[in-house]
Amino acid sequence: MALYEGPVQNLIDELGRLPGVGPKSAQRIAFYLLKAAPEDAKRLAQSIVDAKDRVSWCRRCFNIAEGELCAFCKDERRDATLLCIVEEPRDIVAIERTAEFRGRYHVLQGAISPIEGVGPDQLRVKELLHRISGEGVEEIILATNPNIEGEATAMYLARLLKPAGIRVTRIASGLPVGGDLEYADEVTLGRAFEGRREVDA
Amino acid sequence: MVAGDVAYVEQVQLRDFRCFASLDLSLAPGVTVIVGANGAGKTSLLEAVGWIARARSFRGVTDSALVARGSEQAILRADVVHGERRQLLEAEIRATGRNRVLLNRHPIVRTRDLYGLLRVTMFAPDDLQLVKGGPAERREYLDDLLGMLAPRYDAARSDFDRVLRQRNALLKGGLRDPDDDSTLVVFDEQLVRAGAEIVRGRLRLLARLHPLIVEMYEEVSGSSAPLDGTYQAEWAEAPLHEGDADAVDNLLRQALVARRKQELDRGITLVGPHRDDWRIVLNDLDARAQASQGEQRTLALALRLAGHELITDLSGAAPVLLLDDVFSELDAPRASALIRRLPGGQTLVTTASAIPEGVEPQRFLRVAGGTVEAE
Ligand SMILES: [Zn+2]
Repeated sequence: MALYEGPVQNLIDELGRLPGVGPKSAQRIAFYLLKAAPEDAKRLAQSIVDAKDRVSWCRRCFNIAEGELCAFCKDERRDATLLCIVEEPRDIVAIERTAEFRGRYHVLQGAISPIEGVGPDQLRVKELLHRISGEGVEEIILATNPNIEGEATAMYLARLLKPAGIRVTRIASGLPVGGDLEYADEVTLGRAFEGRREVDA
Repeated sequence: MVAGDVAYVEQVQLRDFRCFASLDLSLAPGVTVIVGANGAGKTSLLEAVGWIARARSFRGVTDSALVARGSEQAILRADVVHGERRQLLEAEIRATGRNRVLLNRHPIVRTRDLYGLLRVTMFAPDDLQLVKGGPAERREYLDDLLGMLAPRYDAARSDFDRVLRQRNALLKGGLRDPDDDSTLVVFDEQLVRAGAEIVRGRLRLLARLHPLIVEMYEEVSGSSAPLDGTYQAEWAEAPLHEGDADAVDNLLRQALVARRKQELDRGITLVGPHRDDWRIVLNDLDARAQASQGEQRTLALALRLAGHELITDLSGAAPVLLLDDVFSELDAPRASALIRRLPGGQTLVTTASAIPEGVEPQRFLRVAGGTVEAE
């Protein structure tokens, strides 16, 4: 039900589509923007446009990248034999803060979740298999979230990769059960990297 | 038991919580009787204290039901005293969206971060359903006790619920490509992990609980009764006992293989603790279907008392006891047996009418029109 004049309602509808923004918050943000100085609103609009124009997925690891490759894939000092698998680009940020990991990443862009219709096919798994055969990867570190979907994804990948004779480890201890990597503090996550273990498959 | 061992709620502040627009209440250890007409909000007071322990209502309603009509959120603030330690819980309970809960001014992310703050045993008139109701009522009774004993059981429970939803979605989809098979294998393994933890917990709990239930039943009824219980799982060939705890993983795994086709045909998970029953047998008869109403009531009371006793034994402190209008349902012998077993912790008793004989309250509170007066 449209309660406001055209452009205002459009703005509320668009904001309401963002993750974590309910109808009430959408309304609040819309009116905040309407009251804001014109240059503030334009700067926000421009930064959205810029980000969409300039940022895309790294064609190797599917992290966000400006250009073809992301900063980690371009960095020759990173150890290409170690590959850390994460669900989302924001997980890379969390891991980088620990300064424990000097390898490269692969972003699945999600986790297995039948409820949401996400299976291995919807994730960047095929691309991962290509990389493993092509880049001399010796160890895969599964750093998916320690919740049901993340564990399922890790277990699925372990079963897929182990027969290929590759070392597969899972970051483990210290992570809060049912939590997200994003919310783990640096010390906990750092310990989790040191204490990574082989996965049963 | 020394007083320092008892955790109790000292201050409760409510804003827009059910019928209480603004309430500041001081409570004390010992027995407090809360008097008021039906619908005056006596149960809501108990509900607020129960919320502190579990971050949800014991009435089985969603949090939105707790928020006064026309408000966006209810506020619940409580001081919990345990020996020398005083902890402050503050909750903004929202009609829609996520609650915000702070413990000692620090936001908590998960409900189980409240573990150990306060334990509560609740007696309510519908406890009879523990005996008369379906298997789900008894599973919840066992799982709630496990959750009070160790937070990992609450974790296993929420893990299991999540695995079940994911696995059912997969089964319903009908495994269309080979990837689905390897995905199902993964959810099978997770179902075994979380499911086995729950079943093992229940079996070990039952072994400790059973003698206490027998003792309480005898105390309340004044006579001994041959009381037995069997843990029945469709996925196991015979009833399970404590001695089977270590075999549960394998039993679940085998059952998943054996019933795979059936699960695919029906599109739901048939193997796991979510379908188990703890069948109580009294005088060789199924208590649910064949015991008299009086026996069922005695048994329900014995279950609550036994649970309370067990938590007291294992955690070293009596939980706060909430008795919601239970005496109206009990005859004199059962009421006096309950009073005899009232433990030394904080006890809140609601009643619409007379104070039950034998209860020696330290305080009276009268609830009316959204306010509470000390008498
Ligand atoms: Zn990259």
